[in-house]
Amino acid sequence: MASEKSKLEALEEEYRKINKLPRLSKAVENVDKIIELLSAAREQVASASESHTAITITKLQNPVKTAFEAVNDGLKGAAAAHKKIGKALDRSFPLKPLPTDHDAMADHVSLINRAIAMHLLREGQFSVASTFISEVQSTLRREELADMDEHMDEGGDEDEAMDADDAFSTTSSENYDLSSFHSQELQENFAEMYNILQELKAKNLMPAITWARNNSVELEARGSNLEFELSRLQFVWLFKGPSVNGLPDDENNGQRGALRYARSNFAHFQVRHLSEINRLACSMAFAPNIAASPYKQIFAIDTAFSDVASSFTREFCSLLGLSAESPLYLAATAGALALPQLMKYTQKTLAKGTEWTTSNEMAFETPLPESMLYHSIFVCPVSKEQTTDANPPMMIPCGHVLAKETLQKLCKGSRFKCPYCPSEGMIKDARQIIL
Amino acid sequence: MADHGASKINHDNHLLLDQPLLRLPYELLRKNIRSAHYHIEWDTNAVKDLLKETATNSINQKASKQDVVNNLDQMLARMRGLKRKLSTYAEEENRQYRQSTARIAHLRELSDVHTVEDVKYESWSRQRLDRLVVDYMLRHGYNESANVLAKERNMLELVDIDTFVAMSKIRQSLENGSVQEALAWCNENKKELRKMQSNLEFMLRCQQYIELNRSSCPKQDAIAHARKYIIPFSNTYPTEVRHIAGLLAFGSDTPHEPYASLYSSARWTMLADLFTDAHLKLLGLPQFPLLHIALSSGLSALKTPACHSSQQNQSHQGHKYYRSSTPGAGKEVTPEPRSHGTASLQTSVCPICSTELNSLAKNVPYAHHSKSHLLVHDLMLLPNGRVYGKEQLDDYAEKSRLAHGEVKDLVTGERFREEDLKKVFIT
Repeated sequence: MASEKSKLEALEEEYRKINKLPRLSKAVENVDKIIELLSAAREQVASASESHTAITITKLQNPVKTAFEAVNDGLKGAAAAHKKIGKALDRSFPLKPLPTDHDAMADHVSLINRAIAMHLLREGQFSVASTFISEVQSTLRREELADMDEHMDEGGDEDEAMDADDAFSTTSSENYDLSSFHSQELQENFAEMYNILQELKAKNLMPAITWARNNSVELEARGSNLEFELSRLQFVWLFKGPSVNGLPDDENNGQRGALRYARSNFAHFQVRHLSEINRLACSMAFAPNIAASPYKQIFAIDTAFSDVASSFTREFCSLLGLSAESPLYLAATAGALALPQLMKYTQKTLAKGTEWTTSNEMAFETPLPESMLYHSIFVCPVSKEQTTDANPPMMIPCGHVLAKETLQKLCKGSRFKCPYCPSEGMIKDARQIIL
Repeated sequence: MADHGASKINHDNHLLLDQPLLRLPYELLRKNIRSAHYHIEWDTNAVKDLLKETATNSINQKASKQDVVNNLDQMLARMRGLKRKLSTYAEEENRQYRQSTARIAHLRELSDVHTVEDVKYESWSRQRLDRLVVDYMLRHGYNESANVLAKERNMLELVDIDTFVAMSKIRQSLENGSVQEALAWCNENKKELRKMQSNLEFMLRCQQYIELNRSSCPKQDAIAHARKYIIPFSNTYPTEVRHIAGLLAFGSDTPHEPYASLYSSARWTMLADLFTDAHLKLLGLPQFPLLHIALSSGLSALKTPACHSSQQNQSHQGHKYYRSSTPGAGKEVTPEPRSHGTASLQTSVCPICSTELNSLAKNVPYAHHSKSHLLVHDLMLLPNGRVYGKEQLDDYAEKSRLAHGEVKDLVTGERFREEDLKKVFIT
């Protein structure tokens, strides 16, 4: 790795050097010189007598020739610099051909378009998203029209009319795909999310609290404490008073304001969060010197706003059925991480002339970092196969888990012996489980 | 299996998708200097010859003073023209240098990042995605979107808008039934196309011939055109040339093959694709969007059998946007007590299960794992067949204010007695 680091650095260094080499502008300067020579000669010829013309023009030959050589040298110099770039690239950034013999994504352009549109909306790039959607739609309409033309052109021929028909129905179904995606609704949702996040950044918790309250049933069902966390932060924020929170110094701010806020808002949290509310109330007693009190933790809110912002984002997206991080971002990142394995594999199979025949599962491992694993994976310890809907994990009475197919193979009659402990069991006692 | 090493960035192999980032400016520099060279050669020779001739004539007294002045004016005009052209090339060269510098600085940022967890990696990777998306948009002809996104993200130096816009202009002219622009491009890149053994120019010439046949102009024109541009290729493309020759006998309404398909308007799309292929190949660019490569590798790496399973509940969460697309569903205020996913208690919704990618990922294989990898520990089996970690169940019970000794299914919401749970052993 250390050597690679120096590789990119070396490349940067080389580029820096090459940047200083003469460029085409050198040749332009020399062309300028020729223009000067020629126009000087022209003036001379025009103003002097006829007899001097031959001399002037003869004298012009050599300087012009030299200047032309200089132009050529300038060109060569620039070309040499480019060659150096090529060499530097080959040395420090050697070309590794990408696997481009087969494009698995080519048939799913409309799905990719939708993923991109949703990604843009999620990133808050609303204007880019709307440009993109309208460009995609107008291209689709154009293609549809072209298909219709073709359809009419070749209506006379039975077979071709059929083909055109097929093409037409494909595009229209893809078109349906994109228009069924509610960009307007989604945009409104994400616009709301961005507004709330913006306010959170400006330390205004109210819009987030309102949202959490409106969605409290769902949030609670998910076991989320978001509403309470936001309200508690609001209490602390008010408690800190105008010198910290910059809000107007009135009865709604400071310790009094915090108390007021708690009285009117904490009632419905009492069942679930009584102990936390008690702690907040007790902290009031230590108000003059919170930092030295047992409650200092509650009032240390350095990261609190960014913490609630990220749990807000997560909850907001989850309620929409979306993952908190952009899937397109995750997939592209995972793609870059897994690509070396894919390339290694394609190279090897190419060399051997063999091909992977099962299309359900990849033939090689593509390790991803922990943070990119979202489901538990169960690999049957006997068959070493991942369990699927068709071959689900089964728990046998002793508590060990095997894949269904493994279990069937282990069976002698209706009985089997656990491969991991001495116990035996009946096939009817094995239970399918959902991990 | 996630081993610790997986989050380390292997610098040797991490920039595979980013190769065109530096290769393209290099190719464009070379192309640029080739064109500059061509113009210098052309104008230099002309001026040199004229100067020599003028000198000889002047010495031999064949040319008057006025002739000499006129010739000098002619040379001056040529050189000024050359200067104008060269300045554009020099400008383009500077631009490519500028882009290369910006790009290498962008790539170089990565050498300070050693793990995927580094916050710097995230912002770098985000920018990479933006680049991939712009590349995708450009290749599909969504030029305005690409432009807006690149501007918004302040990365005009990192994407190749000009190259692709120029390409899509020529492509469009072909789709609109004009070969002139593509032929001009062929002419500019004659040598390279020959090296690549591209048949693009031949095909364009054939199309011209087909159009001559289609039009009402005299057949001699078509024959003359064929003699000049098509017959010379009769050894390289014998079948095509034979068909072309036969075309003279058929009108554009013929039902007979292969002549009917020669007259077909679908040929224009074919030519446009042919041109795009040649253009990308010439510049050393991959034939399809880099985003496709990233996605097909990334979707598989992330995908698990659970992502499209009928049992796992997470999967139908992702379909909300499909379901709500039925008219009248609109924006639900209180949705059905939708079985709440495991998301809030675990980490977050899986990207493959999320609406954006769910259908797209249907078509790719799932990742291969040779070892079990469990996100939770101390597994407990509920009577309904679902398995959770003990800690998850305890947490959820507490948050749901359950009575002591009770647990609740994180997905279905069913409640069970703790003594009905069974320990699960994963070996």
